[in-house]
Formats: sequence, C-alpha cells, structure tokens
Amino acid sequence: MIELEKLTVKFGGVTALDHVSARFEKPVSGIIGPNGAGKTTTMNVISGFLRATGRVCVDGVDLGGLSPHRRTRWGLRRCFQQEQIADDLSVADNLQVLLDALPGTRTEKRADLDSALDVTGLSARADTPASELNTYERRLTDLARCLVGRPRLVVLDEPAGGLGPSETAHLGDLILSIAVLTGAQTLVIDHDVDLISRICEQTLVLDFGRRIACGETAAVLEDPKVRAAYLGIAEEGA
Amino acid sequence: MAYSTSGIAGLAFAALTAVFLPVLVGSQWVLIFTSTACFALAAAGIGLMYARLNMVSLTQVGLMGVGGWVTLRMNHGLGLPFEFNLLAAGVVTAAFGMLLALPALRMRGLYLALITLMSAGGIEIVLSTFRFPNGGEGFWGVMPSVAAPFRRPVLAIEDGAYLRYAIVVSTLGMLLIELHRRGAPGRAWAMIRRSEAAAMASGVNVTLYKAWAFALSGLLAGLAGGLLAGSIGLLDAATFRAPESIMLFALAVVGGAGSWPGAVIAAILYRVLPALFNDWGLNPDLALVIFGAALLHAIMTAPEGIAGQIRAALPRWAK
Repeated sequence: MIELEKLTVKFGGVTALDHVSARFEKPVSGIIGPNGAGKTTTMNVISGFLRATGRVCVDGVDLGGLSPHRRTRWGLRRCFQQEQIADDLSVADNLQVLLDALPGTRTEKRADLDSALDVTGLSARADTPASELNTYERRLTDLARCLVGRPRLVVLDEPAGGLGPSETAHLGDLILSIAVLTGAQTLVIDHDVDLISRICEQTLVLDFGRRIACGETAAVLEDPKVRAAYLGIAEEGA
Repeated sequence: MAYSTSGIAGLAFAALTAVFLPVLVGSQWVLIFTSTACFALAAAGIGLMYARLNMVSLTQVGLMGVGGWVTLRMNHGLGLPFEFNLLAAGVVTAAFGMLLALPALRMRGLYLALITLMSAGGIEIVLSTFRFPNGGEGFWGVMPSVAAPFRRPVLAIEDGAYLRYAIVVSTLGMLLIELHRRGAPGRAWAMIRRSEAAAMASGVNVTLYKAWAFALSGLLAGLAGGLLAGSIGLLDAATFRAPESIMLFALAVVGGAGSWPGAVIAAILYRVLPALFNDWGLNPDLALVIFGAALLHAIMTAPEGIAGQIRAALPRWAK
C-alpha cells in the first residue's frame, strides 16, 4: 500500500503540490492530470529527488528519511520521462548497475537479470551496446531495470511517451505483469488516458497541484470535475 | 575475464617497449622515455576522470609532485625499499586527491575545473617554496647544492632497467583502470555520466563513486610522481607547475581520453616531441604551437583524439 499524506512542494511562489493525500491499494495505479498538474513532482517526491512536507509511506515504511539511492536499495524503482540508459554499457550491464548496489551472490543476480531480460524480450540483445538500441528497446531496457533486485514499488513516468499504438499495448501488458512477477506495486503517470484506463485499477487526478479525484479509474474518469479539468469539457452548470 | 584486442595490443606494446627501448636508445633518451612512461600513467588518470565522468582535472601534474615529494621524503627519511616508498606515494596522493574531491564533488564542469586548477596552484606554491627533500635535516629535508643518494628498486639499479620498471608499473596502473572499468565502479561511472538522477535511481552512491574516481586518479598520479623521482633521484619544483597540469590535460584530450593509446600519445607529445625538437636544434617551445593546433584539431574533428582516429582507420578485425 502506498500512502501519500499531505504532500506539499513549493518552488518559490509557485505551489507545485498542495496538500495532496492519496492511498493506493491496487497492484497498478495511475496518476493523471494536465501539464503542470504536479504529476512528475509527485514522482520526484516519492523517489526522494525533491523535498516535500508531508509523508510518503509504502507498506508502512516511511521513505522520508532515505536518500534517493537508499530508496532504490530499499526496493523503489523508477523510470524517467526520458529513458536513462547508459549508451556505453551493454543492455545487461545497464541492469547490472542496479544489482551491484544490492546484496546477493553472483549466481542469484545473474538469474534475476536473465529473468528480467526474458520477460522484456531482451535476452537476445543482452550483450548489445545500448547505443545500438532503438527507441522502444531503450524503453524496455529502462523497464527491465525496474524488475531486478526484488522491487517493492515501481514508479513509471510516462512510460509510453513517444511510442506507437502497438508498442504501447505491449508495454501495457508488461506493466500489468510486474505485480504478478515481482509482487511490487506499480504507479504509472501518463497522458494517455486509454493506457491508464486499461492498466490502472485506481487513479489519482491532479490539477494545479491539487487532488481533484481519487478512486476506481472508471469512476474517476466519469467524475465531472475530472472531465472539466483534464479532458477540457465544461462542468455542468459552470 | 574477456581479453579485448585493444588490451592485448596494449600488453604487447608494453612488452615490446620494455624489451627494446632500453637497448636501442642512448642514455639521454632512456631518461626521456622513463619520464614518458610516468606521464603516460598520470595522463591515464586524467583520461579516466574525463572519459568516464566528464570531470576535468587540472591538477594531475601537481598531484604527481605530491607523490614525488612523498617518495623522496620516505627515501631520505626511512630506510625502506623503493616499493614501499612508491606505494606510500600512491596511497598518500590518493587520499590527497580524495580530500580535494570533497569540495569539488558539488561542482560541475567549469567550476570543478577551476577548483582543481586552484589546488594545482596551491601545490605549486608549496613545492616551489619548500622544494623537494634531498637528504637534508628536518621535515622538509632540503640541503643546499648536493643531494643524498636515492635508493632505486633492487631490480632496477641501472637506467635501462629502471625504464623497464617504469613501463611495468605504468602498465599495471592502466590495467587497474581497466579492472575498474569492467567492474561495478565502471558501470556506476557510466550511469553517473548518463545523468546523476539516473544513477541515484539505480542505487548508485554518486558521491562515493565520484570520490573513488578522484582517489584512483590520484593514486596513479602519485605512483607516476614517485616513479619520476626515482628516474634521476631528484625533482625540480618547476616540473610540477600549474600550467603543466593544464598542458597534460589538453594533451590527454588530444591523444584521446579513456584509452591506453590516448594516454601514451599524450605522454609522447608531452615529453618526446620537445626532446626531439631539442635534438634537431629547434626551440623545444615550438612544441607548444603544435599542441595548440592539435588541441583545436581534436576539439573540432576528433572527439576521441588521435587514438580514436587511429582506431577508426584500423581494419575491423583489429578493433
């Protein structure tokens, strides 16, 4: 269970997040909202890149005191909007970086790495330098890195950005399988409402740094306030 | 561990130079090549920081001075064999490099370069004020005119043997870099270079691995300085002035940072070219003009330096 409690972030005079609270209990949940709503800010607070007032608790563990790399060692995995693959490392080494920081024997790590590559369909590309990968393979490598080392919480920031419809569909299936394979809870941020409504059971909607709705995805998307803010449809009677 | 073509070529190059150089060249050139081997090791440290972490270190030759100072101090103060003195020089300089890294770790790009340049300036002032120990009394150990004898390694008493020794140590230093590159530090450095956020998200302790690179580069500079001290048993503060650090950095870029041929080419340009000009009756400072042109060339057309250009020209099987 992921609990966000009264998260507030201010950049000078701008309030990027304003007392946002939410509780995610489903295996895959989503955060949506228009540009500048505070989605990536929320993600940065969860992964420790930004300081915020309020609390972030996952399965009862308060992540507040941990630096970003310690959160990763604890079990947090994160994909960025722009994939972050080191070009001069092979696909396997891009995953190995994460395992290097974790305890475990060489054999265990190798098996872990192999299964992550297998799930994402990258096994044949394991020794390929990342510089030779196409956009989708790079995205998959980034996702594969989220699967290794017993993740507890996987946060994905616009994983389908820049992908075509068939790739997005495949990626959606992969995201759904994360919880089954690793037992980790997944939080997805995306603009693509179709993707969110397909894979996320529960969704938080932000607008101008405030929570405007949170709950079952289908119900949330029907909420007049959400339709007004996110889909640009005027609220009835407004 | 897999052997790369470049690695085998490097070991072969080291073996050939170690076997033939001392036999083929005259006594003056043996000394020049010894110092070339030392500067190649120091340049490899610069290349490590620059190629792996995009960090510009303008203090490497200054750090060589620190290593040289420690070696001479140990040599004239204690009766330990050369190897101990050299190792101490490496360790002390690594610690020194790490200390330097602490304020520098929060800096990037130009600001980091400026901090390292200032420390090079600081080292220059201390070394030129107190000079290198030559067997005198007290902590600084300096006596006028004459110098006490320097104990070279037992295996390398003669100049030719000492050249071989320097090549071997230099090669071991470069193998140490390669070992890092292939292991966890190399992977962590590659992630840091991609972006620090990505590295942190991958569980990499960015501060630790950056400091580690500073320490490793410092270790190599310390060993290089210690080896140089053993070449004629004396060091001159003028060798380690701050502009020399800038020059060696520029040549490391010209040669090609991040590969052994790049470091060797940098050292050859730095040491052998001026000596050749001297031999030909030309002004050795003419080399500076060539370095300037070569730097422009490297920045504009050869991001991987001369070593990169040579590699691109090789047939596919040799890469």
